[in-house]
Amino acid sequence: MSTATIALLGQPNSGKSTLFNALTGLRQHVGNWPGKTVEKKEGSFTHAGKTYSVADLPGSYSMSANSDEEVITRDFIASGKADVVCILADSSQLERSLFMLADYAGLEAPCFLVLNMEDVAKEQGKTIDAAAIEKKLGIPVMLFSATDIKAYDKFYQTLERALKTKTHINVSALEEEYIKLDNYSDIKAQLSDDTISGYTPMWLTVKVLENDKVVSAKLKDTLSDDKVKKIENLAKSGSDAVATGECKFAWIDEILQGAVSGRKTITKLGRLDRIYTHRFWGKPAVVMTVVLGLLASFIPALPIMALASVVTVLQNAVGSGLSSAGCPAVIISLICDVVLQSMGYVIKMLGFVFGVTLVFGLLEEVGVMARISYVFDNTMGKLGLQGKSVMPFLVSFGCTIGGASGARVIDNWGQKVLTIALAWAVPCGAAWAIIPMLSTVFFGAAAPLVIVALLLTMILHMWITAKIFGRGLVKTEDRCGMIMELPPYHKPKWGALFRYVLGRTKDTFFRVVKVVLLVCGIFWVLSYGGSNESSILYKIGTAIEPVTKFFGMPWQLFIAFVASSVGKEGAVGVISALYSGGSYSQGFMEAMSGAARSENLNELLLANVTRPEALAFIFALTFNLPCVVALAATYQEIHSVKWTAKIALYYTATALALSCIVYHIGLLIW
Amino acid sequence: MKLAELKENSQAVISGLNGDTRFIGRITSIGLTPGCHISVIKNDKNRPVLLYSRDTMIAVNRSECEGIEVTEVKA
Repeated sequence: MSTATIALLGQPNSGKSTLFNALTGLRQHVGNWPGKTVEKKEGSFTHAGKTYSVADLPGSYSMSANSDEEVITRDFIASGKADVVCILADSSQLERSLFMLADYAGLEAPCFLVLNMEDVAKEQGKTIDAAAIEKKLGIPVMLFSATDIKAYDKFYQTLERALKTKTHINVSALEEEYIKLDNYSDIKAQLSDDTISGYTPMWLTVKVLENDKVVSAKLKDTLSDDKVKKIENLAKSGSDAVATGECKFAWIDEILQGAVSGRKTITKLGRLDRIYTHRFWGKPAVVMTVVLGLLASFIPALPIMALASVVTVLQNAVGSGLSSAGCPAVIISLICDVVLQSMGYVIKMLGFVFGVTLVFGLLEEVGVMARISYVFDNTMGKLGLQGKSVMPFLVSFGCTIGGASGARVIDNWGQKVLTIALAWAVPCGAAWAIIPMLSTVFFGAAAPLVIVALLLTMILHMWITAKIFGRGLVKTEDRCGMIMELPPYHKPKWGALFRYVLGRTKDTFFRVVKVVLLVCGIFWVLSYGGSNESSILYKIGTAIEPVTKFFGMPWQLFIAFVASSVGKEGAVGVISALYSGGSYSQGFMEAMSGAARSENLNELLLANVTRPEALAFIFALTFNLPCVVALAATYQEIHSVKWTAKIALYYTATALALSCIVYHIGLLIW
Repeated sequence: MKLAELKENSQAVISGLNGDTRFIGRITSIGLTPGCHISVIKNDKNRPVLLYSRDTMIAVNRSECEGIEVTEVKA
């Protein structure tokens, strides 16, 4: 069977992801580019007995060297790994979106041009003559609508044509523009066709004029010193990036001359945009959209979560079945408390991942995400983040797992890690289920004050965490404000979207299962023991009690705190088991798998725990790492063991520090 | 004048760009080059400036607006 590799290149909102998902469906793989923190998306498909692998090239609006993404994209194209590069442009904004093509012109890899969003252009009353553009460019050009299933036959035909002809962009008209630039010809004279393979002298010369550091470094490696000197001097006195940009747009204008006709679009905001961009109502409208979206995401998520309760039933059945078969207790516990328990966690989590990926994917595809970025750009910018980061934060009030998965929409790795690191500080639904209960038991009418204090601490926590991690994660030069397009609203392509969401969920499942099994296994080893005194956790807990007491936690609360790292839901059950004096390790296991609390929990708590201790515990629990599955989801999104561990340790440490501070304040009050 | 000084619903032509390589790269690649016509759609305090240019709605952060010189065109 014959094979071919194609690479997809396009600006944001050019419909690149839609095309990638529609082509590859479930056959995609997400990893990292070797040695880089940039996400690598690959996939494959077969058509007419031929297998194609597809690389979704990362990047933003151009082929410059402003980011790792752009450099990776350039290097990949120049390496010749792709048989053909598919360049996407937005038909409804051709003039602007052809900039990528203009910036590409001069690279040696063969290419073809897809004018996507034909439907939007048509709605705007524009007609585009693809044949005329093809004639001027000298490469296959097609009008396309990635959301239209019927359009794909045409796409495959054009792809085949491009693979057969292996054509390059006709750059003569573009070079005529470049020649007018100061020192262009003199710099080009220093270069030859094989100076750096994959790049033509024209392209390199333009990048030199644009002060492209990566190209300069490459030239330094290959050319003689005096040539490099000469080029450097010529570049200094030559035209700049503004001038080369003007050349590119002049060329685009010429290409489009006579090929595009129709009325100019109206420059008024639509009704929806008037609300989203409103000075006062914009933020509430965005928050409402996200909240409603999340509620809606529970509809597809609930059946999956229902599966998780089947696992709980299974756990009991398997447990009693095995014990009546005479299986040793250790094995039963291992199967039920580690393997099945982990599966239960992971399946519950998949519900969230599925729902959040679907809703966020939809918001992104429809174009709402760009509005969210606009509205929150200023606020999030203060933390070194993009406006979009507000979404994972909002989701984290429900579930940190969803927040971590939702951070996928952030296209810069450092900002993504920072967003997740901050999202952990947002108390999740499980914490909210415990906090009001504990606060009311211990502080009665003052309980709301505790909640206010927690929320204020959350803001402070996020601010400090942003300061601590921000410097390493988001470089100062990356902390630039938005220059972004707000795309016209698009209809979603449901089929491609669902396939993408399913693919992501499947991917998450396999990765996350490993992490969750590992962590649950460690906890099991620590807490397993026939009687109270034999488990490692008990021994450690009681041995270091003098220390944990200083943090405001007697050993029972400390163990509940440790347990809350696995899942906050179980923490109260653990307290209940420990103070009611039953077998501790059994109580621990049962509590973690969702067993009921003892009925006299309130009295147990009041009899054994003082108010400062209770306050310390509430803070420790709230700001501890959210749960083992959130940890796994974080790892799945950021692909870095080092950073996942760093964030986890940081949270354990800060939770203890907070509980210590709160405890000692509490001692002063009571 | 600077881009951020333009009032809502005003028209202008970009007359110059000032900034480092990165800024110039980002601003030209989204289509804002000297000579380019823009109309300001929204200009609220503490929000990016929303403008319309080359058939595209573009949001530009207020601090990046400092590097964009414009000449107002009366309609």
